[in-house]
Amino acid sequence: MAGAFDFVPAIAALPFAAFLVSLFFGRYMPRGGAEAGIIATAGSLLLSIWTALTVAGITGSATSYNENLFTWVAGVADGALTLSFGVLVDPLTALMLLIVSLISLLVHVFSLGYMNDEGETGLPRYYAGLGLFTASMLGFVFSNNLLMAFMFFELVGLCSYLLIGFWFRQDGPPSAAKKAFLVTRFGDYFFLIGVVGIFATFGTGLFAPLTEGGSVAAESFPVVAEHVLAGEASVETFGFGAQTWFTILGLLVLGGVIGKSAQFPLHTWLPDAMEGPTPVSALIHAATMVAAGVYLVARMYGFYLLSPQALAVIALIGGFTALFAATMGVVKQELKQVLAYSTISQYGYMMLALGSGGYVAAVFHLTTHAVFKALLFLGAGSVIIAMHHNENMWDMGGLKEKMPVTYWTFLSGSLALAGIVPFAGFWSKDEVLYEALIHGFGSANGLGPVYLLAYAMGLLAVFFTGFYTFRMVYLTFHGDARSETARDPEPVRWNVKGPLAVLGVGAATVGLINMKPVAELTGAHIDFLHTWLLGPEEGGWPALTSTGLHHYEVLMEEFAGIQSAYPLGETPTLLASAAVSLALALAGVLVARSLYSAPEPVEHTDRLGSLKTLLMHNYYQDEYQVWLAQGVTVPLARAADKFDQGVVDGVVNGVSSVSLFAGSRFRRIQSGVVTNYAALMTLSLVLLLVAFVVFGGVSN
Amino acid sequence: MAIVTEYYLLISAALFCIGLYGILTRENALLFLMSVELMLNAANINLVAFSFYWGNLNGQVFSLFTMALAAAEVAIGIGIILVLYRNFEGIDVTEAATMRW
Repeated sequence: MAGAFDFVPAIAALPFAAFLVSLFFGRYMPRGGAEAGIIATAGSLLLSIWTALTVAGITGSATSYNENLFTWVAGVADGALTLSFGVLVDPLTALMLLIVSLISLLVHVFSLGYMNDEGETGLPRYYAGLGLFTASMLGFVFSNNLLMAFMFFELVGLCSYLLIGFWFRQDGPPSAAKKAFLVTRFGDYFFLIGVVGIFATFGTGLFAPLTEGGSVAAESFPVVAEHVLAGEASVETFGFGAQTWFTILGLLVLGGVIGKSAQFPLHTWLPDAMEGPTPVSALIHAATMVAAGVYLVARMYGFYLLSPQALAVIALIGGFTALFAATMGVVKQELKQVLAYSTISQYGYMMLALGSGGYVAAVFHLTTHAVFKALLFLGAGSVIIAMHHNENMWDMGGLKEKMPVTYWTFLSGSLALAGIVPFAGFWSKDEVLYEALIHGFGSANGLGPVYLLAYAMGLLAVFFTGFYTFRMVYLTFHGDARSETARDPEPVRWNVKGPLAVLGVGAATVGLINMKPVAELTGAHIDFLHTWLLGPEEGGWPALTSTGLHHYEVLMEEFAGIQSAYPLGETPTLLASAAVSLALALAGVLVARSLYSAPEPVEHTDRLGSLKTLLMHNYYQDEYQVWLAQGVTVPLARAADKFDQGVVDGVVNGVSSVSLFAGSRFRRIQSGVVTNYAALMTLSLVLLLVAFVVFGGVSN
Repeated sequence: MAIVTEYYLLISAALFCIGLYGILTRENALLFLMSVELMLNAANINLVAFSFYWGNLNGQVFSLFTMALAAAEVAIGIGIILVLYRNFEGIDVTEAATMRW
């Protein structure tokens, strides 16, 4: 019987079909191809729900799936690589499929209001881009090997380029699109080397072992690496120690993650990507592009857990990015810019969680963030429609009464982002920080202090998050209207309000799937996400699956040396951590309220003095990267060009000029006079005869 | 008494040298062609002489072929000389020296 798993490829194939239909027939459709996209993503959502139910064990006994479906390079020789496309479905995949297809469906519906109703041209191209974007992300999510994941990862990057640069006739979008593409490509370059390295080392890129009838048919690279470190197997490590080499491979792959997930120092593309249409921003930030990086780390978490150094780097980058981006969000004047920096900051939290062994926390935050960030961007899109595409918050104000649906849903998303109980962001952010804290106290091998440092940065960022979020809310919706358009905003229709309502409810409630503090206090088993990732059976997934939480917990203790310690005892530590982060978030909200809640708010950024300039210029990140490109890369390229033109080409040209010169001299023999030729022939014949006489002829 | 083969060879060598001398010194294309014919026939005499010496008819048969070929060659050669005359208004072979670099 065909089960849900046989239809998993269709989850990505449907949006891909929508891409083709919109591209070729979109212009004949009344809504420019949106119909195809909406139907396809709705189909994907239904299939994803079915898949999730199957993984949960509700519809049958099979609960995970890992098969190679198509082999496109079959290695024949001994030790040759075989490259295939395959599908891996486990709880992480199922959850992510659900998120991506849900957000994508809502973004498609919202686009009806944001693009169609605004009379934009080029709609078929837009919906084709959305379809391909969704398809490639879904394909990335269920990839069962690293190379396939890399291919879809690149496709995601390409689609972001196409969509960010959608309004290619203006100046900003094409350059922002190029920047996004180049910066993420820079990271992907390392990722590609990492992929090649992993294939060269392990001979496979499988994320999880292929099993047949309860035994392993093809081993996966995290498991092989685990065996190598345990001394049960050996691989080619190119002269490094196994541990060092795995760390290098992990960090190379991390390059791609940092580029895509906009972590420091490759985050600069993301704020510029706001030039694209707002629904695209929602898709990029919530579900597709930026989530891909974090998802990749979660996907091969079994590999990263083998290398404490890589984990430390991930945690530090995450914690630092969370704080760094949050401070920049504080001074921005445009609605979408604030949201862009909040995205960078929130993905920093996810990286922090992954780095510090909080796998559940990271996946939890990925889920909640997808919901509330999609909500905030769609809300911002609604405001932008109302404001006739003016994004400056200082021109808004007082929109609360005029657009209540947008206001209340946006408020729900903001409370979630700021981390106010009981909205989604509180539960997940609190768990991220809690995991970093207890592992910081418990881990002995140098990881502890690193985690505590990252925790401190993450904690500080909570305050800034609360502040900039509510600065944004107060400036946009409260006070008096500060411009003519804000006094008379354009109304929005159902296709904007519908997605907002769905996500608004989601942002308030999705945190309920893993209320760890409540579970801890009451002893009730309501940490559903934890149970979900642990597996449907008692004791977690069978060991053969190797991507279950249970397996990761074993790895965490044995290889990474991450342990938990509770300085105040288990429950009090949990509550204290929650209380501290909540208090900081509230403090941020209250500061924002006291500064910006007036009917006529004034700018307070001048009080920051020179710090304001620094923050306004984003710590001169763009400037130093441009300097790196112009001051270092260009001279380097020029030197390489000199070498190429001078030395390499010089040798080639020198050799050819010798034969050219020789030819120009020798050709003078050719006089064109027949008599001369005859004389030369005679002379040669005589010489030949003489030679025969002298050397005694040809002997046989 | 039959003539010894050496004499045939001597006459052939003499004929060849005359032809060679003609090629190296003459400028008239017709004389050029004649000199070539002389050299060719020197070779023919050699063939017939050796054929006679060994009592084997192969050499004589080959000399018949050579004559047929020589006839064809002369036809082409005279054609070339005609073209030469048309293009250079003369048949001096040293004049036609433009087909080079």
